[in-house]
Amino acid sequence: MPIDYLPILIMLLVAIVMAVVSLAMPHMLGPKIFNKAKQETIESGKLNYGDARRRVPVQYYMVAMLFILFDVEVLFLYPYAVLFWDLKWFGLVQAGIFVLLLVESYVYVWKKGVLNWE
Amino acid sequence: MIESIPLSYYLLLSATLFTIGAAGVLIRRNTIIILMCVEMMMNAVNLTFIAFSRFLDSATGQVFVFMIMAVAAVEVAIGLALLVELNRHKDAVDINQFNSLKG
Amino acid sequence: MDALRLLTPEITITIFAFAIISLDIAWNDENKSRRILPWLAFAGGLATLLMIFYIWPHVDQYNYTAATDAGREVPMLAVDRMSLFFKMIAVLTVILVGLSAGEYVEKHTPFRGEFYGLMLLAGLSIMLLVSSTNLIMIYLALEFLSITSYILTGFLRRDARSIEAALKYFLYGALASGVMLYGFSLLYGATGSVDLATIAGSLETTQAGLVVAAVILMLAGFGFKIALVPFHQWSPDAYEGAPTPITAFLSVGPKAAGLAVLIRVMVVALPAFDVNWTPILSLVAIFTMSVGNLVALWQTNMKRMLAYSSIAQAGYMLVGLAAWSAAPPSAVAYLGGVDAIMLFLLAYMFTNLGVFAIAIILENQMGTSEIADYAGLIRRSPYLSVALLIFFLSLVGIPPTSGFIGKLFVFGAAVNQGLYVLALFGVFNSVISVAYYFGVLRNVFFEKGSDESPIRVGVAMNTVVTITVVMTLLIALYGQPFIQLAADSAQILAANF
Repeated sequence: MPIDYLPILIMLLVAIVMAVVSLAMPHMLGPKIFNKAKQETIESGKLNYGDARRRVPVQYYMVAMLFILFDVEVLFLYPYAVLFWDLKWFGLVQAGIFVLLLVESYVYVWKKGVLNWE
Repeated sequence: MIESIPLSYYLLLSATLFTIGAAGVLIRRNTIIILMCVEMMMNAVNLTFIAFSRFLDSATGQVFVFMIMAVAAVEVAIGLALLVELNRHKDAVDINQFNSLKG
Repeated sequence: MDALRLLTPEITITIFAFAIISLDIAWNDENKSRRILPWLAFAGGLATLLMIFYIWPHVDQYNYTAATDAGREVPMLAVDRMSLFFKMIAVLTVILVGLSAGEYVEKHTPFRGEFYGLMLLAGLSIMLLVSSTNLIMIYLALEFLSITSYILTGFLRRDARSIEAALKYFLYGALASGVMLYGFSLLYGATGSVDLATIAGSLETTQAGLVVAAVILMLAGFGFKIALVPFHQWSPDAYEGAPTPITAFLSVGPKAAGLAVLIRVMVVALPAFDVNWTPILSLVAIFTMSVGNLVALWQTNMKRMLAYSSIAQAGYMLVGLAAWSAAPPSAVAYLGGVDAIMLFLLAYMFTNLGVFAIAIILENQMGTSEIADYAGLIRRSPYLSVALLIFFLSLVGIPPTSGFIGKLFVFGAAVNQGLYVLALFGVFNSVISVAYYFGVLRNVFFEKGSDESPIRVGVAMNTVVTITVVMTLLIALYGQPFIQLAADSAQILAANF
């Protein structure tokens, strides 16, 4: 029933009100002073340079892609962890083979020099 | 008590997502956006599996989703690698410019 | 342990594939021992083939009930005669392609270990796919095959055409697998199971609309792998851009695998489902044959022409499946038509790999695969010219070649079931195909080429051409064992583990 979702609606309204109020209050109450430091994109003590649309070296992309791959493969170890005691030695051997293959691919990536940052 | 959302809502949503994704693959010319549309199709499928899995009370659908997620990651890695490699040759991501094979 | 024994072919090929890749990492580029990698791949293929023959007599002892009694709830694979036959096709393809790839790989790419490792893994993926009896396993094996094929297609990194072919293949493939997955999810929703046999059991009680949609979406995915019209657009581009040995592999391996999984799904999961498949399959077969043959007429590049020719050949194979589906539903265990497909596939594999072996030899020598450059081949290498003649006779289906026997059985199966129009279309298409095959032969035998230097053929290539020529003739002249083999292999189990 749609009426059952009323708490979620109320929660949503509260969240919106909170956000609007916390943005609007300082805007109305606080003094408005502009200077160069305040106009910076990021105000963190470090000076900005260039713009955001720069070419990024391809190594970043390689490492990111490898991260995604290894990260997702580890997904399969979670179900195994849950069933660790039920699967006994057979499961351990299977998981071992799985990890071995992952290690092999890691060694491959390493040996091919993908992780060298030059 | 909160009752569950009917199954048909999920199916309608996933069908819509899937259609948007498929249309995107067929219409868009930017290869990166095509890859994103493929991901969208995969996730529409995942949603269908999860919804059915919940309503049929069977865990198999969730196992399938695990597999799809892993394979989708591999697939997108391959796709991006091919695109980067081709970009070195052609300096473009527009699919209309990949036209050296024709007949 | 019994279950593991049935998987020895897969285990063998996996060990060899990873051994090759590991050795490739361990030895650096200057190491002379890297030369053994191709031979290691060859040995791996042979060992796998031996394992298939070793378990061949044992497959009858295992069946689905034994597997369920053992407490396995979700059967994944079926090792039956049909899957063993297709595994044999896959391994033979890998061996023959691996043998004929040697010089080409040497010339074009420094990544030899990966090439042979991936070839074996592609073979492994086909072996898994033809055994799959579960939607999860089908999906994983199909993606495994797709991903290895994408990489192998784009293997020549420095050649923009190779990468472009791989990207196109990838984009079509990703779309097709997404569509197929959506079909899987709907089928799962309609039946509550991903196991083909269980799906078959619950299809009688479910609503038809959802299942029809699911099955049609699913067939799109399989049709993509087999390159059936209208899912064939990727194949000419992928074939032309891919390294030629990989083109040879693509023209047989994935086609066989897609066909096997299509047969298994049709036979195991869908008979209980009351839809007449014959008109759909016949229509797809007619379109596939006609489009493949008609477009092939205009091609000037050998690889592209062979792409369209192999689309047409897949159409002929589908005629066999249409014949199977036309049998009365009472004949539950009837598999007529399926054995015809297998015989046709066996003949097609040897013939097509032979044609590609010649194309590879000529490309190694001349650097192109344009049909115009084949002019005057008869003076440069009479042996290859005659071999090409035999292969093309076989592809057209003229006796005394294996293609004739294959077509005889496939069209015969269609006639047996009263599909006269379909058989007529098949014969008519064979007549059209004469035109483009003989266009090449006219160049080879009667035109005068600019270059008259003799063609040099290496030992490995010579072996491949000789084996394929001998098999092409042998299947026709001494066909009984092969016909018997195909008939024996038309035996499908629901699942055994």
